[in-house]
Amino acid sequence: MKSFVIGAKTTKFGELWSTSPRTLAKQAVQGALKDAGLKKSGVHAIYVGNMLSGMLGGQEHLGAFFADELNIAGAATKIEGACASGGLAVHQGVVAVESGLYDTVVVLGVEKMTDHKPEAVALALMGAGSDQERLSGATFPGLYAMLARAYMETYGATEEDFAAVSVKNHFHASMNPLAQFRREITVQDVLRSAKIADPLKLLDCSPISDGASAVVITSKASPAGVRIAASVVATDTLALCDRGSLTSLQATKDASSRAYEQAGCGPSDVDVCEVHDCFSIAEVLAMEDLGFYKKGTAAKAIARQETRLGGSGVLVNSSGGLKACGHPVGATGVKQVVEVVDQLLGRAGSRQQTNAHIGLTHNVGGSGATAVVHVFERYQKGES
Amino acid sequence: MISPVKIWRNQSSITSYRGRHGVVESWTMIRVPLGTYAHLAPYPVVLVKFEDGTRKSLQLVDWKKEDLKIGTRIQVVIRRITESNDEGVIPYGLKAKPCDGK
Repeated sequence: MKSFVIGAKTTKFGELWSTSPRTLAKQAVQGALKDAGLKKSGVHAIYVGNMLSGMLGGQEHLGAFFADELNIAGAATKIEGACASGGLAVHQGVVAVESGLYDTVVVLGVEKMTDHKPEAVALALMGAGSDQERLSGATFPGLYAMLARAYMETYGATEEDFAAVSVKNHFHASMNPLAQFRREITVQDVLRSAKIADPLKLLDCSPISDGASAVVITSKASPAGVRIAASVVATDTLALCDRGSLTSLQATKDASSRAYEQAGCGPSDVDVCEVHDCFSIAEVLAMEDLGFYKKGTAAKAIARQETRLGGSGVLVNSSGGLKACGHPVGATGVKQVVEVVDQLLGRAGSRQQTNAHIGLTHNVGGSGATAVVHVFERYQKGES
Repeated sequence: MISPVKIWRNQSSITSYRGRHGVVESWTMIRVPLGTYAHLAPYPVVLVKFEDGTRKSLQLVDWKKEDLKIGTRIQVVIRRITESNDEGVIPYGLKAKPCDGK
């Protein structure tokens, strides 16, 4: 692998009614280029991760749209993979640079969701699932709720255990100026929140958000950059009902085991990670499927605060995760990379993990049909 | 809106599942529905496992509180999915109904 992240920038995430997608994209990309010390003319391609622009805003052709808006010449493409759109766009950027056809590329993840009624957004998000799932009246929270129910039945986890995920991520977000929700919450707050799809409640679910994030990837190492040690995409069946297991996401297992091989490391080497907590159960499954915890043990470990800043285990979702930082769908996978890069470069402020050498990002599409795992390493002296 | 052509094309796959027996492997109660199902909320959705090992996601109908658990036996029935669309075509599809099992 010979690709490096040399610039990274995320915008504020939230309900940003007065900020257009064009403005969000400009903030993220111009910020990332400035971070990289690069001019627009040095960019050879742009990859745009986005899911809903067509369905909600009637706008397709986003490669051309943003290349135009950002005045970037070169190859421009939109990549879509439901909630994994951002991670897939990063992967495309890596593939472009590794191929040698492009030397320096920009990856932009951007999503505008809050212009629309929640019902319209919920319907559009179910585009991530199968036809039968839509016909059955399942919603996205409904699909993950069934995973949660199966996990509770098999391993004896409780709603209180799941609530600990949201509590931790809100705590981390309280230290992230860009996060959508910076207010700390308690387990009781989660348990008392409105039911969405039993057993998931409002505070078990990531929000609807606007935001953008961008990274610059290039083939040349730099002390101000971070090495990309692995970039892997894996897929599983589209529909939840066709999966092999209801207590594990095989796509995550496949993507991470190949990523560890590519990077030449294992779960115990990872100091910091951003995982896909679209719902609290999703972070529990991620901890096990990424190899950090044995099957059936992650829920209790999270409840014991092992993955919290200052905890005994790997630091998980220091950005606040999808739950508290926000989840502008196409932007999330790129934001995860920005957070890990900031951690490895020592720029994470009060969220900083001590001695962060190796970081991992995990981005999932749909109920587990796509999984993208990246591994990053701090720059080593003598690297060229 | 579901295209009438699509409804017609999928009819045979609907009829082939009618009457099949299965077991609830997981379930949820949808309280915040999709727009098309707003009039039915709250309603349960179940993941059903059939004898041949395949599974389907189905809305549960004609249910009692005791039926909302893993292990409930169900039978697949054909029910109306939503109100008829602008073209007057009523979409029918598969749902699950608790049965005392065979």
